[in-house]
Amino acid sequence: MTTSVREPRRTTPSSRWAWLRGDRLTTINLVLTFVIICAVFATQSQYFLTIENFLNVGRTLGVVGIVAIGMTLVLVTGGVDLSVGSVAALSGVVTSILWTKSGIPLGLAAVLGLLSGTLVGFLNGYLVAVVRINPLITTLASLSIIRGLAFVMSEGQTNQLNNDAFKFLGRGEIAGLPVSLIIMISLYVIFILVMSYTQFGRNLYAIGGSPDASRLAGISVTRHLLIVYTLCGTLAAFGGLIISSQLASSAPRAAVGLEFTVIAATVLGGTSLAGGKGTLIGTLVGVFILRVLDNGLTQTRISSFYQDVVGGLVLLLAVGFDQIRLKLTDKLGGGRK
Amino acid sequence: MTALLQMQNISKSFYGVKVLDDVSISLSAGEVLALLGENGAGKSTLIKILNGDYQKDGGSVLIDGQPTEITHPRDAEKLGIRMIYQELHYAPELSVAENLVLGHLPRKSGALKWMVDWPKMREMARDVLTLLNVDIDPAAKMGSLTVVEREIVEIVKAVSRQARIVVMDEPTAALTPPEVRQLFGIIENLRSRGVGIIYISHRLDEIKQIAQRVTVLRDGKHVNTLPISEASDENIVQMMVGRKIEDRLHVRALAKQTSFGETALSIRGLSKADAFEDITLDVRRGEIVGLFGLLGAGHVALTRSLFGVERPDSGQILVDGAPVKIISPQHAKRAGIGFVPLDRKVNGLVLGMSVRKNITLSNWDKLAPLGVFSQGKELANTRAWVERLGIRMAGGVEVETRFLSGGNQQKVVLARWLEAGVKVLLLNEPTWGVDVGARSDIYDQLEALAAEGLAILMVSSDIEEVLNVSHRILTIYKGRITGEYSQAEANQEILLQSAAGGAQ
Repeated sequence: MTTSVREPRRTTPSSRWAWLRGDRLTTINLVLTFVIICAVFATQSQYFLTIENFLNVGRTLGVVGIVAIGMTLVLVTGGVDLSVGSVAALSGVVTSILWTKSGIPLGLAAVLGLLSGTLVGFLNGYLVAVVRINPLITTLASLSIIRGLAFVMSEGQTNQLNNDAFKFLGRGEIAGLPVSLIIMISLYVIFILVMSYTQFGRNLYAIGGSPDASRLAGISVTRHLLIVYTLCGTLAAFGGLIISSQLASSAPRAAVGLEFTVIAATVLGGTSLAGGKGTLIGTLVGVFILRVLDNGLTQTRISSFYQDVVGGLVLLLAVGFDQIRLKLTDKLGGGRK
Repeated sequence: MTALLQMQNISKSFYGVKVLDDVSISLSAGEVLALLGENGAGKSTLIKILNGDYQKDGGSVLIDGQPTEITHPRDAEKLGIRMIYQELHYAPELSVAENLVLGHLPRKSGALKWMVDWPKMREMARDVLTLLNVDIDPAAKMGSLTVVEREIVEIVKAVSRQARIVVMDEPTAALTPPEVRQLFGIIENLRSRGVGIIYISHRLDEIKQIAQRVTVLRDGKHVNTLPISEASDENIVQMMVGRKIEDRLHVRALAKQTSFGETALSIRGLSKADAFEDITLDVRRGEIVGLFGLLGAGHVALTRSLFGVERPDSGQILVDGAPVKIISPQHAKRAGIGFVPLDRKVNGLVLGMSVRKNITLSNWDKLAPLGVFSQGKELANTRAWVERLGIRMAGGVEVETRFLSGGNQQKVVLARWLEAGVKVLLLNEPTWGVDVGARSDIYDQLEALAAEGLAILMVSSDIEEVLNVSHRILTIYKGRITGEYSQAEANQEILLQSAAGGAQ
């Protein structure tokens, strides 16, 4: 067996593994977790490793995946947005009411539904960045307010949103792939580039790492926070439109608890609640893990009551493991002062 | 007489790198031992071994001549070893008394023993405070105290529970001269009661006042231990850095500069209520203007106002002769003003980000005209600054700035503004907590940058620094400029008098 050595051999193991640090290692851990979970389910269910099943999972990824982009950005700045589930419900309600009750064309109604999320996001951002209310409090309040508004506007009723063009968003397929999945992947590509190759992305990490230092370096912290919360609201509203499209209706109680799933996926993906750390790749893998877990557990006929338990445990295990690893590397590598 | 503490032939390695190599120190009861060394010399490691945070690889620790194993901070605590760290740990919303007995709250007796005995707690607190001659109200909220008061409470807390050995790590880093005197009073008091003190500091003048002996470490090795009477500044510095520093600590020969460029920064009648009043000054290209004042004199607020962090009430700021409106740091930056803040760890750096990202932070005009940057160019620019300023770090430009020493951190902050291409640089206490070697390095760099046309306004409460690095010196007292001196006119006496509001 002959293999050509392309690179000169490096002398110390530490330099050879130097690239395997921090975010990268977190992501690799996650991918391994994902593979292990898949392997376990594959042994438990014959149906699990079929293309049909993967497309099934794919259809459920879009909403959580898209909303998790906005959540990752917000968490990276050191904030949080609890209102995403309510905003998702609001956008569906606004769209259906404008279409059915006010007679506005569905396309325009959907855009306005999306903009309702943009507006809520902007207001969240304004309260956090300008009025300086703690983001947890701000968005906890808007979670309640927006959910309430969705009920008020719809009078608690489920509204039909039965339109073929609109259904395409949530149920359509292009070349055999769910449209929502394609949109999600495209958004990830765009935002991954934004986060790693633009000034805007870099600034978000800096703001999360140290808002004071960022401000004194000449970054407008206020403007960046406004943009990030606005984006998060908009993406949540977009997720809400996909839900309405999948259900062909809008309900004020749609997407209850979405914030939990989305934050769980994001944190699972290595984003720090303290801000300054996190990658969208990690978030994407986190979304995959949570969704595959749901899917696999359903197939193995484990009671759905246990699914929430398992979801929470996986989150704790993954994040706990990462914390222990960070502690170890800090102790060994940073011990010398 | 056996020594209170002996640490003999201590060795310690991390990852096969020797951090401590055969280091021995001893400490007698009632003695202050100054422990000196540049960052990375091994002081912290030695202290952490004493406190049981790290385990030594070799050597022995003797207390009262008895070999002792300290494997956990709990052991150290039982032996009466107390650490007072640079960063204080306290509960700001609790009272001084509560902080003093934190973890040891007195309980009521009998059936009510699950309840806190508040009167007893207040009494205990009052007792220890009077014992050490400390005049602090035990009922005051910890967060409402000044920095030195908090530090003193921390010391009182540490020694109130049978302290025998107290280790102080840079206790004066954030203190003004009167506060330092207050702290020294407490140290003398402890000494008189037989407590042994290991005192870590970069400030040689303080060490001469307070210590009896000095031990110098360099690169993990014990260099020398001397009685303080036999140690001169030159001598100590040379032992610390291992090479001769051309006596920069005393009379640093700043290149005589007589002609400067155009006026780069002008301030006209700038005022801010309760901070400074009617400040008028000019800084020319190539000039380093030192603004000397005691803490709270208003000079820090002035630079913050110049940089748009605070808003002045009235007055005018001109850059290159043109009035500029500065209402935020972005405005200041656009006007060509850079700002090195007081506390680099909180305000200067994003500690969890790499050296590279910190240097290019918000500096994208050159790197990314369209908002999308090229990593190659970023890396090249970063490396250029690292080389030019001599920023030293283990692991290259991708290492997080929190792992850098104080001096190198400060250079990273400097590099950011130089990368931004500013015309005017505002410096706040540029060498606070920076070791001697890096300090003279930073001074050299500032001088070189000025020679290239940068206008520098340096705020400092370190009189030697002001005397050594400024072409021109202004003094500020209670928010007003009280004197202006050329390099030749200024000396310690004049400056101190002027900055304390004395005759001009």
